[in-house]
Amino acid sequence: MGELLLLALFFPLITGLLSMFQNKVVTIKSLNLVGSSMTSSVLAVIVFRISTQGAFLNGLLYVDSLSAVLLTVVAALGLTSMVFSLSYMEKELVEGHITIKMLQRYYGLFNVFIFTMISVLVVENLGLMWVAVEATTLASALLVAFYFNQSALEAAWKYVMVCTVGICLALLGTILLYYAQVNVVGINVQALSWLELKTIASKLDPTITKLAFIFILIGYGTKAGLAPMHTWLPDAHSQAPSPISGLLSGALLSCAIYAIVRNLIVVQAVLNHEFLQYLLIGLALFSIGIAIPFILVQHDIKRLLAYSSVEHMGIVLLGIGISTPLAIYGALLHVINHAIAKSTLFYLAGIITQEYKTKHIMRIRGLIRTMPLVGTLFIISILAITGTPPFSLFISKFTIIWASFNDGRFWLGAGVLFLLAGIFAGMMYYCLEMVFGNPGHNISVGKVGKPALWSIFFSIGLMIVTGLYVPFWLHTLLIKAASVIMGGE
Amino acid sequence: MNFLIIILLVTSLLLTRVSRLKTAVTIILIQSFMVALACGIDGLEAGAVHMYVAAILTAVIKVGLIPYALLNIVEKLQYEREDHPILNVNSSSVTACIAIVLAYGLIDQALPGANSRDALATALAMTLIGLLIIMTRRQAIMQIVGLITMENGIYLVGLSATKGLPLIIEMGIFFDVLVAVVVLVILTHRLKLSGMSTDISRLKKLKG
Repeated sequence: MGELLLLALFFPLITGLLSMFQNKVVTIKSLNLVGSSMTSSVLAVIVFRISTQGAFLNGLLYVDSLSAVLLTVVAALGLTSMVFSLSYMEKELVEGHITIKMLQRYYGLFNVFIFTMISVLVVENLGLMWVAVEATTLASALLVAFYFNQSALEAAWKYVMVCTVGICLALLGTILLYYAQVNVVGINVQALSWLELKTIASKLDPTITKLAFIFILIGYGTKAGLAPMHTWLPDAHSQAPSPISGLLSGALLSCAIYAIVRNLIVVQAVLNHEFLQYLLIGLALFSIGIAIPFILVQHDIKRLLAYSSVEHMGIVLLGIGISTPLAIYGALLHVINHAIAKSTLFYLAGIITQEYKTKHIMRIRGLIRTMPLVGTLFIISILAITGTPPFSLFISKFTIIWASFNDGRFWLGAGVLFLLAGIFAGMMYYCLEMVFGNPGHNISVGKVGKPALWSIFFSIGLMIVTGLYVPFWLHTLLIKAASVIMGGE
Repeated sequence: MNFLIIILLVTSLLLTRVSRLKTAVTIILIQSFMVALACGIDGLEAGAVHMYVAAILTAVIKVGLIPYALLNIVEKLQYEREDHPILNVNSSSVTACIAIVLAYGLIDQALPGANSRDALATALAMTLIGLLIIMTRRQAIMQIVGLITMENGIYLVGLSATKGLPLIIEMGIFFDVLVAVVVLVILTHRLKLSGMSTDISRLKKLKG
């Protein structure tokens, strides 16, 4: 098992390194396809072994059902995003937007980015987790700035500055938590290990722990795109190449939520439960609410999707905030579903912007006539992301709201339903305009690459299958992960 | 120790007043050197080997590599100055002084009777002043300087509260800081290359 974890960390690194030195497009493509499939298969084996054998600890590496849920996300998105990149980036190359040097850099950074996300999920230490989360920012910053034009530079600057400042606050919180730990057990080798912290949690000083958690929540919350710290998110998501937007939105935000949850598991033993619930639910409602005006009045297709990510992170945090086993189950399922649906939408947006050569919603019209297949898939994915049955997001949103009613929070559930209706209206309005509007002038459309379509079909298939039936292994994994968050083993 | 703390506060206050980028980088070099010294002295008192390593790493990365990279790019930005910060220099200095008072108040509230009260308050004040510089300065280089001040402050919090973090975590943090500055320098360089000013406040294409 330890070897598998090291392999999962090793494959992306070596693939990224080798990609930097290949001059042929075909070699780069096949190398990355092989590397990415190997990484994802190793991750799949790890998830399978965790779901059958339970948690694994070896020195600084640790994986349990909670990390396994997130590793599933990284495995799925790493593969779909890579497969989509193959045809997307080749088209960019053929059309002369990028050079072969930039292609090497793209695949190099892509793999380092995957590596850093896996590291966040497999370390058993709050300090090292901080290092890994900061590393995800740095690896993805140059991908956001990939085209190095004015907008991309602006987005990347904002991204690095806002996230690094945010994450510095998380470091301050982590140091405070360490201070609380040192006051209980003294300086020892188990520094900031969360298994250790969990066993001594009840002895931690409540005042310092509270202060520490607030800093940590603000810090990682910035990274997770929770309002009001979300300002970097729409810029970075709209400027990055589309496969990267998918990864940022689906996998990276989920990793940041994971970092919050790991800290939450430690501090919930000593902090007042009501305080934590108010804090998390308040932040969640604010994130869902703030997305609405930006979704209702939006001019950029990728920013539309980015604001929807802010909303979905709010929904996930809502589930964690309600903190009944059912709500947490829903939240974890929603992490997976959102990751798959949102990345698919970003891939589709990538195809659309490549053909229409604009991100402006006003200028994208008549998809159903110009690109019938892409248009249909786009409608399907928008229906999925807004939580319409039979797609999996319906199940997870329904579970979270059901849990809220079950917990006696009638107004909370009703209010969230109301907000979701607003978001549905906004997303559907723009979607229908883009798909069925009148194209006006003739748009010459090229052929969509096969790999791109495969990865989109694969994701949509997953959404429909898990919408109708949650596989048994996933179901047990989610139940175990929910009990980990509740403070169990 | 007290001497170091005073110099650290003075450097942070001076940062609110500079307009030449090169001066700012020199100040941050001195500040980082003091942080390395503080780490070394603490290690000497505690007799802890891992703190020597941390001190050496601070010296190499924050006194050596980072200022080198920054001075390198500043050479190329001859016409860029921080002339009209969003908050003017006098108000910035006053705000920084308020931040120092606030830091003392916070430390007395949160950690009453901590034996390194002055060091903790200074560290927190540096964090706040770093944040102030990031928020109120237009030049890319000044924002990087603010970020390093903030990071130095947080590092000092760890040093005075818990004698630093375990070495492996600290090495990770140093590496991250180094890469963060390299990434920001690359972005600044690209801004310059594409013929734009490195005045960040002029970048406002992305909205809504």
